[in-house]
Amino acid sequence: MVKILIVDDEEINRIMLREMLSEAGYSDFIEAGNGLEAVELACRHKPDIVLLDVIMPGMSGTEAAPHIKASSPDCYLPILFITSLDDEQSLVRCLASGGDDFISKPFEKIILHAKLKAHERTRQLSLEIQDKNRSLTYFQLEVERNHRIVEHIFDNAIGQNSIAVDYFDFYTQPEAQFNGDLFLCEQSPSGGVYVFIGDFTGHGLASAIGAIPVAQLFTAMTLKGLAVGEMASRINRLLVNLLPADMFCVASILEINANGKNFTVWSGGLPRLAVKTPEQQIRLLIDPQHMPLGILEEHEFDNQTQYFETEWGDTLLLYTDGLMESHHKELGMLGEEGVEKWFTMNQQVSAQLLVDKAELYRAGEAADDDITIALFQCRPFQFKPPELLAKPVPFNLSFHLTAEHIKDVYVIDQVVAIVNSIPGLAAIRSELFTVITELTNNAIEHGILGLSSDLKAEPEGFIEYYERRREGIENLQQGDIWITVQRLMPDNVLEICMQDSGPGFDVSVLQSSEDQTFGRGFVLIRELCESLQISDSGKQIKIIMSLMPTVDDTDIPE
Amino acid sequence: MSIKTEVVNDSTFTIQIGERFDFSLVTDFRNTYEDLDPKVKQIDIDLSATQYMDSSALGMLLNMQKVLADRQLTYRILNTRPQIARILQISRFNKKFDIQ
Repeated sequence: MVKILIVDDEEINRIMLREMLSEAGYSDFIEAGNGLEAVELACRHKPDIVLLDVIMPGMSGTEAAPHIKASSPDCYLPILFITSLDDEQSLVRCLASGGDDFISKPFEKIILHAKLKAHERTRQLSLEIQDKNRSLTYFQLEVERNHRIVEHIFDNAIGQNSIAVDYFDFYTQPEAQFNGDLFLCEQSPSGGVYVFIGDFTGHGLASAIGAIPVAQLFTAMTLKGLAVGEMASRINRLLVNLLPADMFCVASILEINANGKNFTVWSGGLPRLAVKTPEQQIRLLIDPQHMPLGILEEHEFDNQTQYFETEWGDTLLLYTDGLMESHHKELGMLGEEGVEKWFTMNQQVSAQLLVDKAELYRAGEAADDDITIALFQCRPFQFKPPELLAKPVPFNLSFHLTAEHIKDVYVIDQVVAIVNSIPGLAAIRSELFTVITELTNNAIEHGILGLSSDLKAEPEGFIEYYERRREGIENLQQGDIWITVQRLMPDNVLEICMQDSGPGFDVSVLQSSEDQTFGRGFVLIRELCESLQISDSGKQIKIIMSLMPTVDDTDIPE
Repeated sequence: MSIKTEVVNDSTFTIQIGERFDFSLVTDFRNTYEDLDPKVKQIDIDLSATQYMDSSALGMLLNMQKVLADRQLTYRILNTRPQIARILQISRFNKKFDIQ
């Protein structure tokens, strides 16, 4: 319902106007006899259109017009002057005071209706805009508030730790500008480092949200010392379940060995990794092999990793595609080659320098995508062994396996997994696997099943040996294996004792020669352990292992 | 993935082993080279994904060489992690395999 304020000091004029407007279907009127009253009523009743006489006693129309306009600051309020004046100066004064149009006396019905309709339309548009502005402002405040919340969570979830700062020269965009890029480093249990560098599709808050669960999962997996391929599978599974179909994460996951020069990488969709020598020559380019994380279902996903080696003093370059997509009006996109050319310019190339060069290259244009860059100069990691942080507690763990357990093909896996889950043992997980597997297989094959390794000397015998092992286990009625695993203090070594219920065997079969396809297990155990003791005709074997990582090429380079 | 194979350029046969190289693979490993193409001149064992290995794996590798002894083949072991390289080194496998 359109509300019209009619302002005229002569009642007869007000009546005439009201009559004419009623004929056109208007019915909501407010009337004022002078300017002051008009301002008051406008403020109180919020009319949609004002018809305003120019000359009135007290406050005139031209004096009242600015105040009436001010009563509707956010929305267009049309003021139509009622006038019999026709000199130019008076008309200009009316418009200057805030008037929008004129209605001439004597009133012409058709013109009056048409003008009212026109201004009513503009008023309606203005009301709609005001309404939209209001929701837009609300929306903006809401977004700002959400940003503050996520920023807080972000700070707590994805803070950079000292590893990134101590060992990497990196550039990430300020945290306040949300982006879909993610750069994480964590220490591995064996003294190396895991790295995650990724880029979620899109920009801003939505793309940043995916980063939070990935960061949490990544950190949890690094504590367990999982293999890079396994990490990729698990993050992929998380993202497939979490993200909408059009969102995914382009990423590389790396494990850098404690020596700082052996790398395992799973790479999905990021620009290729580059390694340069101290002489500024490209040593290696590692192409990504996979689709990004968060696209393929578990059964389609390929977690195969690539492995490469560098030399100390080499530099590894990791970056998200924002850098290589830097665009120049004539030269076009920078590309991987362009980035690698800058990278091998000289010794002093830093992450910041690459960002600066990219900015110059774009010649003032804003970057299309977020940029993350990390450089690693290959050198051994010097972490304090975690054993020094907490005093290790001695423990004694024992297993009793009966025939029923020995029949289970996963029995060794289970024993290894239980032992490996003890804090402080992850550093020697590979060695432990080999030693426990060798000891257990020895107890099963030679102790309980009484198989002879002589069989393995011939190619067909090798297969037959394992065939007999399978049969023997299938028909096994009785057999026991006792395993105890102890941490002995103060030496901080691991003692593993393996006993079986078999009749014992000729220990001399454990001697090996290099060409034989058997007898190697004990050679391995001897090398991986500090001591090996066989007693009771082979029924009991006791070994001692050091709890420090045994891959010891982590000396400082010259 | 436990074992994957691939023929590269007709003459190189690549066997890729999964995370664990242990006796559970005895039959699968044997099957990979059962019907080896006569054109194959080189066998590459890719251990990039392998984190754990036991002595039966060493036995399988040697056994393969014995079975294929009458073919003029070269053998390489590729992409070993430090822990795995150590096991191969302890067992002096560099005498029979080109370990890279």
